[in-house]
Amino acid sequence: MSDSNQNRQQIIRIVFLLAGAFLLLRAADLQLLDDTYHNKSTAIAVGKYTLYPSRGLIYDRNGKLLTNNNPVYDVMVTYNQVDAGMDSLKLADILGLKMPDFRKRLNKDFRNYRYSKSKPFVFVSTVSAQTAALLQESLYEFPGFFVQTRNVRGYPHRNAAHVLGYIREVTPKEVKELDYRPGDYIGGSGLELEYEKELRGVQGSRFVLKDNLGREVSPYKDGENDTLAVSGKDLISSIDIELQKYGEELMQNKTGSIVAIEPATGEILAMISAPTYNPNLMTINRERGKFYNALLVDSLKPLFNRAVMAKYPPGSIFKSVIGLIGIQLGVVNPYVGMSCPGYYSYNSVRVGCRNHPYPADMGVALKYSCNAYFIDAFRDIVEIESFYKPHIGLDTFDHYLYRFGLGNPLGIDFPQEQKGNVPTSEYYDKIYPRDKGSWKSPTIMSVGIGQGEMEMTGMQMANLAATIANRGHYYVPHLAKKFVDDDFLIDEKYRTPVRVGVEPINFVTVVDGMESVVASGTGRRGQVPEVRTAGKTGTVQNPHGEDHSTFIAFAPVDNPKIAISVYVENSGGGSRYAAPIAGLMMEKYLKGQISDSKKIVDKTMKETDLNGG
Amino acid sequence: MRERPGKSADVFTLSLYLCLMAIGWSMLYSVGYNGGGYQVGITEFLTKTQAGKQTIWVLISLVVFFFTQIIDRKFWQTFAYPIYGFAMLLLIAVLIVGKEIKGATSWFAFGGFSIQPSEFAKFATCLATAAYLSRINVNLKYINAQAIAFGMILLPAALILLQPDAGSALIFFSFLVLFYREGFPANFFILGGSAVLFLILGIMFVEAPLKVVWAILILGNLVLLLNFPNKLYGGLAFAALLITSWLARGEEWANIIPLVIAAATAFLIAGILMLTRLKKKNRVFGIMSSAVLFASALVYLSAFSFDNFLRPHQQARINVWLNPADVDPQGAGYNLNQSKLAISSGGLEGQGFLKGNMTQLDYVPEQTTDFIFTAIGEEQGFIGSLSIIVFFLLLLHRITVIAERQRSAFVRCYAYGVAGILFLHFVVNIGMTMGLMPIIGIPLPFISKGGSALLGFSLMIGVLLKMDRHRTET
Repeated sequence: MSDSNQNRQQIIRIVFLLAGAFLLLRAADLQLLDDTYHNKSTAIAVGKYTLYPSRGLIYDRNGKLLTNNNPVYDVMVTYNQVDAGMDSLKLADILGLKMPDFRKRLNKDFRNYRYSKSKPFVFVSTVSAQTAALLQESLYEFPGFFVQTRNVRGYPHRNAAHVLGYIREVTPKEVKELDYRPGDYIGGSGLELEYEKELRGVQGSRFVLKDNLGREVSPYKDGENDTLAVSGKDLISSIDIELQKYGEELMQNKTGSIVAIEPATGEILAMISAPTYNPNLMTINRERGKFYNALLVDSLKPLFNRAVMAKYPPGSIFKSVIGLIGIQLGVVNPYVGMSCPGYYSYNSVRVGCRNHPYPADMGVALKYSCNAYFIDAFRDIVEIESFYKPHIGLDTFDHYLYRFGLGNPLGIDFPQEQKGNVPTSEYYDKIYPRDKGSWKSPTIMSVGIGQGEMEMTGMQMANLAATIANRGHYYVPHLAKKFVDDDFLIDEKYRTPVRVGVEPINFVTVVDGMESVVASGTGRRGQVPEVRTAGKTGTVQNPHGEDHSTFIAFAPVDNPKIAISVYVENSGGGSRYAAPIAGLMMEKYLKGQISDSKKIVDKTMKETDLNGG
Repeated sequence: MRERPGKSADVFTLSLYLCLMAIGWSMLYSVGYNGGGYQVGITEFLTKTQAGKQTIWVLISLVVFFFTQIIDRKFWQTFAYPIYGFAMLLLIAVLIVGKEIKGATSWFAFGGFSIQPSEFAKFATCLATAAYLSRINVNLKYINAQAIAFGMILLPAALILLQPDAGSALIFFSFLVLFYREGFPANFFILGGSAVLFLILGIMFVEAPLKVVWAILILGNLVLLLNFPNKLYGGLAFAALLITSWLARGEEWANIIPLVIAAATAFLIAGILMLTRLKKKNRVFGIMSSAVLFASALVYLSAFSFDNFLRPHQQARINVWLNPADVDPQGAGYNLNQSKLAISSGGLEGQGFLKGNMTQLDYVPEQTTDFIFTAIGEEQGFIGSLSIIVFFLLLLHRITVIAERQRSAFVRCYAYGVAGILFLHFVVNIGMTMGLMPIIGIPLPFISKGGSALLGFSLMIGVLLKMDRHRTET
């Protein structure tokens, strides 16, 4: 038998030998030479300590601290380092646990991938500082257990809960989709959620070699894999905490919202949703679940942020918009009056009006909030093409409403902002099909007085006030001014004026009218002593109970520093609560205090309980 | 006709086989000891614990080994193809009726025990390839024989890949040892080996494949200049290239692009000089420029595929092997890290039987199967590692000796098939526990837990020894 490849057997043997030698060298390297693993005989595992960055703080516009970081302590355990013979009773006693609970916490379902016998898991979360200190002293008796420190939020002011939002533990879904690990904290609402990325900071980690009792033997690879934690950035918000606090006091035992904006910048000075809650209740601790559930089931929905999420019919404050658009389109002459018989009727439809002097021009009509005048103006706009083509007029009207920031979210730097509602011709076409008589301007005339399908959020109302204060433009309202020690500029869109398409000159009569509303009209109770103020009241018919009271205003008239919207549910006419509250807020902001002549109003407002509690 | 009894079995191989099996069993016993001992009765020990189950498998394997010694040696050669066919049917059947464990449908379950047909397929493929290659008219120098031989190993590999069990599928490439011995052209191994090397380099330098290209060009220059008739000028030119490269290197190889351009220019100049001045050396430049292009293309192909076609978890698995610095020691790198820590902590003498910290406290994942070597490393230290590696080398060497003393080409081929299979298992399994090889789940022969594997390897050794006993007969 011929075998010409005999010589290849040697090559195969050499390859075998070389591979074996290679393995042997590597084994010698690991077992004899490598000093990566100091104290080899005792180390059993590389442990990873997560270094939690401190979360960025939040300040108000004047540098007052709104949130701070308080340490909490989690007791961690690594199952297979636990000494079965330890004094479990003592440990349970320190931690305030009963034995069955103690055993349940220790014996997790290790078939579940979330738990491993050799990796630490949370045994008891958020124990008090005293408990943690007590445990630290006797920790050596309980191998496998250790205490991990983390920071949770505390709130020195107890105010602005909705603005700040809360932090919570991440959900399994977030762990899967975002760069978080189980047990990490994340912003759950408000600014904490909006600016999570900036506030969070970057986690660091430290790797150590551990022995079988979980004790640190030495750094792993001299710390070459370690990374430092980078603290989150501190946020300076636009909120004025004193104003916010005062607003919350005024709104106590009432339901509704206040939003105050600095017209020249769009910065939100105060954003109040009533009823509110103490943010310290939502800080992460062992009582939190209880408070959270109580807030969830409260019939007044304190967790619902009415300032940006509640959609309200604007009522008569909407007349200012109708006037402005009418003038801009040239269909309404603001200097021509219209007689008001005390109602407005078309065929059988009749809308009542108050008994008031003759509206000689638009200013007077605003002053007395004449329904007939503005329904007529609205109909003129809708009939701009012809009576029979109302959709052209309404589309034109809507075009301006969208530019005013209505019907769409404004795009504020805050989660869950609602868009309100603008009545559209598509919508009416659906309800009143064209083949069945269609719809005409009288069909929808209730829009002319801010009722019907028209809906706005408190934020949009305040932004309307700011737009009028600026005579034709606004800055998208926002809550962030800047981040400390950082050249971070707020987004371009918050620094660019948005023009609403109504010429500044066309604001003159409307602003004059609004000034007379406060000086001697329906909004007298919203006056700010010695400051020229413009405003507009609204009373929103409420088929379910008392009417809602609303008021938008800005002051001073010539150089506006503050624009505001107040909405008080179930409180009757706009002049009764909304106007005085707005007046007090503006005075507080402009003067820093309430003048003596207003003290009695201040007291009445604070003490009024509209929630029947 | 009754077979003659033959000589006694090769004592050396037999004792290594028994010895490795005993070591494996005691390491499994130690892993299951868990620092506290076995607080169970004998029945429970045998049915519930891993060492107990392995005891039964060892006994079964010894029985199988015994039967291989009394079954007629001609049986295996005569029925090589039917056995192979049967094994392929089993591989197909397991895809349909098999039991899924850890995401792979690789098992037939019978009551408390399960069987992995892929282990049996290794043995069957060994028989079939040996039967084919030992045919007098088959020559691996020719393409049709090469195609059939490759087909015979790729078929089971593909079926196993469907389970999917990439590790076991890869093992079928161990038949390359047999192919080489039986005359498969050596160039194929050189080319294939280089291709694998460049693919690996592409991943190791996935951030900057140009570095590898530069190194390839430098090597190319070296080969060209060595072929210059005047070695002194060639040597000087090459030294100049190296020195300028070193000087221009800069921080973190930031100047890699000019370096590559310089090396490529030098390569081209040398080539042009060769083509114009030395007409006879044309071929060298042709070969070298193809080699440089081919190697660079492979490096880029591999880096590009790694970045664009692999999913993050696949990248992580490869990074654990090739770029360990990029891996989270507690995430993807956890298993290997614990493995290296355990081996390393054994030191020279080891921590002693039943005394290894990590082994006893269950700190090494998959320690009874893929990572059984860590128990040896930790408890027996370098002395233990050395012994195991030497035992395997002795066994492998002995099998080649047995192979070469056969008169029958079939037995020689079969022996080299067995040697190749054992060799690849041994190198990859021990290599992966120390980070030298990618982590693919294959057992360490005779040592790792797992009845099918032990049975399969016992069958291979048993049949080999039986045939060797009759080596003088025709």
